[in-house]
Amino acid sequence: MARGQDASGWRFWMLEVNKIDVFHGGLQALWEVSLNVDEGEIVSLIGANGAGKSTIVETIASLLAPTSGDIRFEGVRLDREPAHKVVTLGVCLIPEERGLFPGMSVLENLELGAFTPASRKVREISFKLVYELFPVLEARKNQISGTLSGGEQQMVAIARALMSKPKLLMCDEPSQGLAPIIVKNIFEVIKRINESGVGILLVEQNVRAALGLAKRAYVIENGRVTAQGESKRLLADERVREAYLGTG
Amino acid sequence: MYELYAQTFVNGINVGALYGLAAVGLSLTFGVMKILNIAHGEFLMVGGFFAYWLFTLLGLDPFLSLPLIALALFLLGAIFYKLVFASVARFHEEVKVKNSLLVGFGLFLVFPQIARGLWTADERAITPAYSGTSFPIFGVRVAYVPLAGLIVTVVVILALHFFLTRTYFGKSVRGTSENWKAAKLMGINVDRTYMITFGLGTALAGLAGVLVALAQSVTPDVGMEWTIKALIVVVLAGIGSIGGAFFAGLILGIVEAVGAIFMGPYSVALGLVIFLLILMFRPQGLFGKG
Repeated sequence: MARGQDASGWRFWMLEVNKIDVFHGGLQALWEVSLNVDEGEIVSLIGANGAGKSTIVETIASLLAPTSGDIRFEGVRLDREPAHKVVTLGVCLIPEERGLFPGMSVLENLELGAFTPASRKVREISFKLVYELFPVLEARKNQISGTLSGGEQQMVAIARALMSKPKLLMCDEPSQGLAPIIVKNIFEVIKRINESGVGILLVEQNVRAALGLAKRAYVIENGRVTAQGESKRLLADERVREAYLGTG
Repeated sequence: MYELYAQTFVNGINVGALYGLAAVGLSLTFGVMKILNIAHGEFLMVGGFFAYWLFTLLGLDPFLSLPLIALALFLLGAIFYKLVFASVARFHEEVKVKNSLLVGFGLFLVFPQIARGLWTADERAITPAYSGTSFPIFGVRVAYVPLAGLIVTVVVILALHFFLTRTYFGKSVRGTSENWKAAKLMGINVDRTYMITFGLGTALAGLAGVLVALAQSVTPDVGMEWTIKALIVVVLAGIGSIGGAFFAGLILGIVEAVGAIFMGPYSVALGLVIFLLILMFRPQGLFGKG
């Protein structure tokens, strides 16, 4: 069974975002945005710079609060929980520009990834897993993370998020500022993480790569969901091709 | 001549250790929370008076009162954080620094008044039987009280360093100081971390206050003087450098003491000269990261 069920037998998605409005100060950034992610699914949010993609994942992570609408994860209202509680429920965001603790070592960054009590208990196992995924991080565990290359920093960001044992991993622009060959590696790692059963919500400007990886996608324009569906269908869509792939 | 300089040097170290301890707490709160607590010296003053109370009313030795004062000032700091600083901490950095200055100045106006009511405006000092005693070494007299104060300072700073680098909670404090948003995303309760950090800062101020009341004296108006000393030391050391604050405190103490040989009471201005020179030529401080 892909989807959960509540007591009354109503089927729900792992993550349900239901008609949220979000404001930045006095400016409205999102209008009635709804989206769903299922267990073990890769879903992508695509759209231009400033369309509101980051706002969506930051709101799910409870860094921002919606003024209306609701967000549920496995039936629990995320929009009523503070950001640090959202992690304990199994939702972890890798923020834009990675959000490392740049003056701290790789090891310390990873340790803080396993800050929640449940993940701290199993951190030795998690260390093994992430070092298997990124052997370079084990070799550099005592290096100050701010001195790593961009690609290695992104690896630390992903590894740190995995230390929290997420059921849903949200990646905000993991390809930002990285060379194409490294982007390819990062995307492969995301795929491997997904294959281990973790749901992925991927924010990407690199539309072709995102649609190649994700089964489904949502197109975000000016704070609204303007298209959604299977990646294959979106790739064939005239409007999407013209707007984001430069091939009319 | 040697004796004069050597003795002055030792005296400078004694005073400098107090500067260092007073500065560590300010450095911690500013480094972690980007809140500049102008009332830091007020908490130092309160710590000194509390220890004075414990000594005169209950006959408690000031060194034994240190843990009690630390606990009391931690709680006082945590309460004041919740009451007045928590609302400031929510703003973004620039507004936060400005508003925390205003709040701190407010407390600076209120605390001395309350202290005058509780303890009168008289100068108070803690004078146990052993105060004023000293022993000679290499032609220099070393007093027991400042020496013990120096040891307390070193132990406290090492303990703080250990806490920040070796414990999970300490690491979360450092993480919060580097990137509070990312800290939240890792499940760190940033508001609680801020409250505890602020409490630690005031506890450190309280400990310094006990040593000040013991080695020198406290009055209700002594707070701002110590805030300024601590600020000079923090700038000299570089923000957030805990061990650096200790050494910068020693430097300031020694410079002031040796300067007094040539300049008399005007040597106090040397600290402000250092402050300006550092801001002009090495704004990241002596031990700060460029």
